[in-house]
Order: sequence, then structure tokens, then C-alpha cells
Amino acid sequence: MKKFGIIALSFILLFSLAACSSSGKETSGGKDDKITLRVAWWGGQPRHDYTMKVIEMYEKAHPNIEIEAEFANFDDYWKKLAPMAAANQLPDIIQMDTAYLSQYGEKGQLEDLTKYTEDGTIDVSSIDENTISGGKIGDNLYGFNLGSNVLSVITNDDMLTDSGVELNDEAWTWDQFVQMATDVQKSTDKYGTNGMNPADVFFPYYLRTQGERFYNEAGNGLAYKDDQLFVDYFNMQLDLVDAKAFPTPDVQAQVKGLEDDFIVKGNAAMTWNWSNQYLGFAQLTDSPLSLNLPPEQADNTALFLKPSMYFSVPKSSEHKEEAAKFIDFFVNDVEANKLIKGDRGVPVSSKVMEAIKPELTEEETKIFEYVEMASQNASKADPPDPLGSAEVMKALKDVSEQILFKKITPDAGAKTFRTKAEEILARNK
Amino acid sequence: MKKRLASENLAGYAFISPFIIGFMAFTIIPMAVSLYLSFTSYDLFSTPVWVGLDNFKEMFTGDEKFWQSLKVTFTYVFAGVPLRLIFALIVAMLLNKASRAVGLYRTLFYLPSIIGGSVAVAIMWRNIFGNEGTLNALLFFFGIDKKILWYQDPTKALWTLIFLAIWQFGSSMLIFLAGLKNIPPSYHEAANVDGANRFQVFFKITLPLLSPIIFFNLVMQTISAFMTFTPAYIITKGEGGPLDGTLLYSLYIFQKAFNFFQMGYASAMAWVLLVIVGILTLILFKTSKFWVHYESKED
Amino acid sequence: MKTVTKDTGPIMTDPVISYKTPRFKAKKWIYHILTGGFALIMLYPIIWLLMSSFKESSQVFITAHSLIPKPFIWSNYAAGWEGIAGQSFGVFIKNSLVIVGLSTIGAVASSALIAYGFARIQFKWKAFWFACMMVTMMLPHEIIMIPQYIIFAKLGWLNSIKPIVIPQYFGHAFFIFLMVQFIRNIPLELDEAARIDGCGRFSIFYRIILPLITPALATAGIFSFYWKWEDLINPVLYLNSPEKYPVSLALKLFLDSETASNWGAMFAMSVVSLLPVVLIFFLFQKYIVEGISTSGLK
Repeated sequence: MKKFGIIALSFILLFSLAACSSSGKETSGGKDDKITLRVAWWGGQPRHDYTMKVIEMYEKAHPNIEIEAEFANFDDYWKKLAPMAAANQLPDIIQMDTAYLSQYGEKGQLEDLTKYTEDGTIDVSSIDENTISGGKIGDNLYGFNLGSNVLSVITNDDMLTDSGVELNDEAWTWDQFVQMATDVQKSTDKYGTNGMNPADVFFPYYLRTQGERFYNEAGNGLAYKDDQLFVDYFNMQLDLVDAKAFPTPDVQAQVKGLEDDFIVKGNAAMTWNWSNQYLGFAQLTDSPLSLNLPPEQADNTALFLKPSMYFSVPKSSEHKEEAAKFIDFFVNDVEANKLIKGDRGVPVSSKVMEAIKPELTEEETKIFEYVEMASQNASKADPPDPLGSAEVMKALKDVSEQILFKKITPDAGAKTFRTKAEEILARNK
Repeated sequence: MKKRLASENLAGYAFISPFIIGFMAFTIIPMAVSLYLSFTSYDLFSTPVWVGLDNFKEMFTGDEKFWQSLKVTFTYVFAGVPLRLIFALIVAMLLNKASRAVGLYRTLFYLPSIIGGSVAVAIMWRNIFGNEGTLNALLFFFGIDKKILWYQDPTKALWTLIFLAIWQFGSSMLIFLAGLKNIPPSYHEAANVDGANRFQVFFKITLPLLSPIIFFNLVMQTISAFMTFTPAYIITKGEGGPLDGTLLYSLYIFQKAFNFFQMGYASAMAWVLLVIVGILTLILFKTSKFWVHYESKED
Repeated sequence: MKTVTKDTGPIMTDPVISYKTPRFKAKKWIYHILTGGFALIMLYPIIWLLMSSFKESSQVFITAHSLIPKPFIWSNYAAGWEGIAGQSFGVFIKNSLVIVGLSTIGAVASSALIAYGFARIQFKWKAFWFACMMVTMMLPHEIIMIPQYIIFAKLGWLNSIKPIVIPQYFGHAFFIFLMVQFIRNIPLELDEAARIDGCGRFSIFYRIILPLITPALATAGIFSFYWKWEDLINPVLYLNSPEKYPVSLALKLFLDSETASNWGAMFAMSVVSLLPVVLIFFLFQKYIVEGISTSGLK
């Protein structure tokens, strides 16, 4: 009888749950005119914490706006977002990544923010056009850049000194890089460099140093025509693998996180990363680290400012103007950025950047200065990855693995990759 | 006679009505939609475009990863499931005593299953088999200077996943325990009186009486092994490497659906899997006649 | 009050073997050493997890091969309990308990009902519906995920636990099949006897079958509990507000690919979140043990 009671009770509970329908969103025009904005982002614990504070700041300044925060880590975020898009349930402001911008933008999910930059809702007076253009696909501004990153080679200076290696980051060449990595290995028996991972970041960079590009302008094929470039790049890596100066893919894959990374554990003297990752590394090791320009960046102005992430507004949002206002606050408000402190990339507004510099720690300042310096030598960034890029990246990763595990030669790999990539890109156009 | 059948039908449907309602409301439509999608090209954002059998054609003739993932998954299932069941049965029999320590042991053996698909487990597992991991450290401790590089070789990497599945035999063990407890001790005692030795008791009494449960575990473990996703996803960071050695079928479906936005193709793959698993299950059911024995002696 | 029991046969005691002979004692020791030893090896990964929760986050992987934390710190537990962005971990645990509790009651109760129907009643098209039920297990979840999501969106159930809990009240194929197997092992004579005594279908179910499949019910309860406890994909999809997150999702908030993850806190909270599940298991496994327990055939 008791059992029955429990079951009956839970059924009653259930029906009462089902009976009270979910409270609908308050739309403007109601009695108290409150607007609810949903903001979604990915990140780690520190980011969730400070972003909540920024949101509170905004709500205080705008009492008629209520913000519902939705956050998750990177993987879960995209798993959530796709069904939301399919069901037309996207939040009003979504954090966006270059890898997905085309997918969401070109398939009509995102609003073109150009009009908000033109009518002043988003103040772009202290923001370089170059940094904004990173969020454009064609003429449509689908994502507003929140901060810039630059490619870098982060070095463990103790290991370099111990190996008698001197690095001149303004003028060093790829060959010198190989030499240095090998020297470090000979002298310390550790890797000279990390696995230049992922391949889809650093191979395109290599192409830029040779005056080429990875994707063509139309986004329906590869830009570089000469497979020798592919072969040269991977031969370089193979040579380093043979010299034991470069980790094989399985060793690279076993790195679980920053605290496990080669540069932190003293297992590699150089690591290829984005500038913002410097902070994490520096906090985890006592060895002196420095940010260096990657090789051969000068001749073809291979460097570029990469938008680290964007805020986008879905077409389905009912409060686009308010959303744009929030974005404006996020990138231009100095007090807010004192909390953000460049966690989402070096701020795009020069005014903000100057204002928060005094608040930064030594390590954070290094990043800012590095990006500033690099921007003097930078050219226009590649447009956001075209449709199908996720598959192309996977194909490149697969080929790269096969080459580094010595299952195929770089020549064969070059051809295989080209065929696959062209097929994928053509199919998606 | 007819009257009785009618009331039987009513009773039957009354009892299974929750299932039918739920099935209609939450399952049948999504299943129908996914079947439809498998004949389309659908990227989640635009309307699906009908492509007929193209997805299936591409799958069977143009997609080596499809065959690779099938190979990986079949290896995983046919190695993992039997081993897991055997361990589960042995340990269940060991723990089928009425002693105080047994409750503790049961909990201890069951613990690995409980922490199952959590991130913590996957991370820990990678760590044990890593190049600098615990297993190699143990080898070193015993004076063996050679390291086993589990993640460099596609087959070895797959075996780390199989070991994980076997390590989590606790859930099967629990079910076997429940089944063993349902065998009245009187049967064993009677057999003992008749002079049967341990092995005879096991093979002639325990196993047959346990066979419905063994059957259950076999079918369930096989089906769920084909669906395995989370451990593989976390351990391989969604890549299925090295060299696609751990590209389980459901991992590949996930990649196609959510990384490459090819929902139509992914749906097609899912239905192919359903057919495969369905056929295997049917075979298991049909052959169960020969070795599964029910006490209720119905047909 | 009619109750049923299984025939336990004549009570036997073996006059020859005394439980105190040295031979028997040695066997007991061997048993404990083997089983205990095996258990320890099996548990090594979990011990590793536990020990790591007492290490500094940054040290966890660097000192991965050594179990003993140097230094031994408790702060991970405190830090972890504080939770994320203002939600203490207690909130997450409460959410998990609610979801899991409601789900388990629903799943076990409804599955038992449905299993009885399949196992004991001959009705038209039974095989068809049984096959449908089995098929629900064979379709990868990723595929019906999107259409299901849209259905729930149309019902207005998003950002609530309804899509996670309510479907549980309509049966779960795994439990149904499990219970069917158990029920089929109960001799029909018992049903007959009860019918002769005037019991209707439901009475037979409630008074006779249910008590006899207690091991299966307990097993299903345990399974449902821990499956729902670590279920990740449904909370990811259907819960947007972090204050609604269950433990499984909250743990992932500690990890980040771009900055240093808070491994220490994550491991610590994983250990904490294991406790309810282990507790439930320990409590319920008794019911599996008791098996065919009490009562007699009237």
C-alpha cells in the first residue's frame, strides 16, 4: 500500500509539473516593460565568473533589461547550439567562433550587424576596420570581434640558453627553426618544439609566409596550386621527428590540458600557440617564457590579427537592437573590460586597450604588447573558414597523422589531401 | 473462447499502455523523421533536400571511414562483450555468498560501473595508459624497461577502450547476482544430496536456471556496445584516433552530424546500424530456443 | 492475506563438515585475498581519482604516477563546493537528486507494469509491440535527438527537467526486458493458484509477481539511479540556466580547453558526487540479496 502511495504521489507531482506551463519570455510592451535577453558563451570557470559580473554591471546600468546567462564548456556549447538553431530557439547573443561562423552565417541563422555599426549602436570609432572585417562574410558582418589573437612561438628561454640557441624573432627563417629545434634536442634530450598542433592553423600560416593562401577567395577550393609547398612543410616536420625534436601525434594527443603541455613540463623549448594561451602557460611554470614572432613573417606580412571569438545575434532574436547595445557595452565599456582583462583576446578598441593596461599583470601586459607589435606587421586576416571547413580540417589532420606516423609519404599526402579538400569544398558550395 | 481472448487483449493493452503512449508521443515521430532525413541532405539550418539513396550509395561505396568504423565497432563488440560477461559471471558467483564482507565487495566491484561515462573516468583512463602513465610506471617498477605505447597503435588504442568496457563489468555482475539469488538453494542442495560435484552443479543446475539472465545480458550488452559513445568521445577527444583506430560507429555518426553538419548522412548511418543490430538481436532471439530455459515453461 | 513463496524444500544440514575446520578457514582466507586483491586492482583508477582530488590542480598530471599527494591539500573540496559563478555545488547535487529521484520512480514503476503485460498476457500483436520496444534501444540517440528536441520545444518544455523526467514514466526498454525475463522465470502455477483464489489480473501483478521480482526491481532502481545521475546529453540539451544544472553537467564547467582547468576541484566534486550513488547501491543491494525472502504459499 505504501508502495502505491509513493507511485501515486509521484504521478501527482509529475502532472503538476506538466500542468504549470513554462513561463513565457516577457516581451516588451508589457506592464513593466522588462526585456529579457539570453546570452550564451563557452569558457572555463574564470570566464563564467567574470562574465556574470559584467552582466550584473550591465543590468544595473539598464534596469529595464534582465539577462539570462547560459554557459557551458566548449564541447557542450556547440552540442547545445545546433538543436537550438534547428528549433529556432537561439539565445539573443551567442558567442561565435571562426570555425562555425560560416555555417551559422551563410545558412541564414545570423543577423548582419553592419547597420548597428553604421548607426552608432555599436561604437566603432576606436576600432580598427581590419579587426572588424574578420567577422565579415562577403559584405555581411555576422560576428562582432571581441578580441584579437596573434600566432606566436612561445619559448622557454632557459632551455634555449642552455642549448646555446639564440633566437632573433624578427628575422628568423624556417631552416633556422629546424636547426634550433635539433640543437635543443641534442643538448637537452627533450623536444625542440611541440607538435605544431593543429595542422590546420600552422600549415596555412606556412603558406602565408610563402605568399600563398589556404582557401581561395570564393571558398570553393584550395588557393595554393603547388603541392611542393605541402611536401616541404611536412618534410620539415618529418625531419624533426626523425631528429626526435618533434613529438609524434600520439604523444601530442596525450596532452590533457595546459598544465600537461610540453612547455610547462619543460619537455619542449618552443611551442606554437595563439598569443592568449601565453597567460595560462606563464602561470603554470616558473621558467621564463617569452612571446616571439613566428618565422619568416616579415617578407610577405604573413602575420594577421585573428578574431579570437565573436558575439553574434541570431536572425530569430526578438531584441536585436538591445542585443547590439549589449555588444557595444562589452567591447567599449572600460569598467567592464577591467573585469574582462583580455580573456577573450586583446580588446579591439584601442581606447579600451590603453585604459586597461595599468590594470594588467606583467604576463597579461606582455600579451597586449606582443599583439600591438604584431599588428604593425600584420596584413588582412583570411576570411572566416568557408562551408565544409570542418571536414577539410579533419582531412588535413588525418593526412598529417598518416604522414607523421610514416604511413604515407608527404608527396602522396599532398595529392590525397588536395583531392579530398577540393571535393569537400565543391560539394558544400 | 472469443470472450476470453477479448478480455485478454484488453488486459494486455492496459498494462502496456504507458509504453504505447510514450512511444507514440516521444519516439515514433522522431524515428519517422530520422528515417525521412536519411534520404535527404540536411544541415540543420536549411530545409532538408531530398537525395534519395545517395547517402547510402556514398556510404557503401565511397566512404572508407564507414567501413573502418564498422570494423572498429565489431572488434569492440565481439571482443568486449564476451569478456565482460565472463568476468561478470565469475565475480557474481564469487560474491553469491551470505557473508558480511560480501556486501562490501559487491560495492567495490560495482564502483567502476558507477563512475561510468563521466569525464573523470575517461581522463583517468587515458592517464593510466599514457606513455608516462601508470601502467608503464608499473612495468618500470618490475624492472621491465620497455614502454607500451598504447596510443601510437590503432589496435592497442582500441584495446584500451575494450579494457575500459571490461573494467566496468559491475552492471552485468549485478544482474547476474540478482539472477543467482533467484535460484532456490533447494535445487543445489538436492543436487548435492544426489552426489553431484561442483562442475555438474554449475553446468546442469546453475547455468540453465540462469540462462534467461545470461540471455538478457548478452542481448543488452551487445546492443549497448554498438551504441558506445561517451567514453570513446572523451578519451579520444572526439577524434577517434590514432589513425581512426578508435573511431566507433556512433562517434563517426556524431562527427558527421555535429561537426560536419551532415545530418541526413548521419541519419542514414544510424538506420544502417539499427538494421545491423536488429538482425543480430533477431539471431540471438531465434537461437535462444536452443539454450535458454524458462521455469514458467511457456513457449 | 495471500502471499506466495517458493518451495525451499527440506531443510538440510550437513553433519560432516564443521565450519571450524582448518581446511575451511584456509579456504576463507584464500577467498578473501583473491577477491580483495582483485577488487583493489580494479579499484586502482578510482583510488587514483580520490588521491588526485587531494593534489594541487597543476600537479595532478605531473605527479600522476605517484598516488600520494605531496602536499596533501583539502582546499579542492572547499573550492569545488563553492561551485561556479555563484551557484554552490549543493545546488547542483539537489538538482541531480530531484531529476534522478523522479526518473527512477517513474521508470521502475511503469516498466514493471509493462513487463507484466508482455510476460504474462497473450494479446494480439504482442510480438510486434515487443519488437518496437526493443527497437527503441537500437537507434543511436544522436539521431532522434533533433526531432525530439523540436517536439519538446513546441511543447514549451525547454529549459526545464520535463523532457528528461516525463518520458521515464512511459517505460524503459532495458528495464522492461529485464523484468520480462524475471517474470518468465516464475512458474505459472502461482498465477493459477491466485486466479483460483479469485485474484484479478492487477492483483496477481501487485501481490504475487511484484514481490517475486524484487531483485529485478532493485536492480532496475540502481541502474536508473546511476544512469540518470551521470546522464550528460539530456541536461546539455534541455537545461540552459546554470542554476538548473545537475552534477554531471556542472563538473564539466570546471574544465576548459583554453585556460588551466580546475582539475583538483573537478576531481574533488566527482568524488563527492559519487557518494549518493554508492550509498543508494549499498542500501539497495540488500534487496537483491534477499531474493526470494519471506512468505509462504497459502
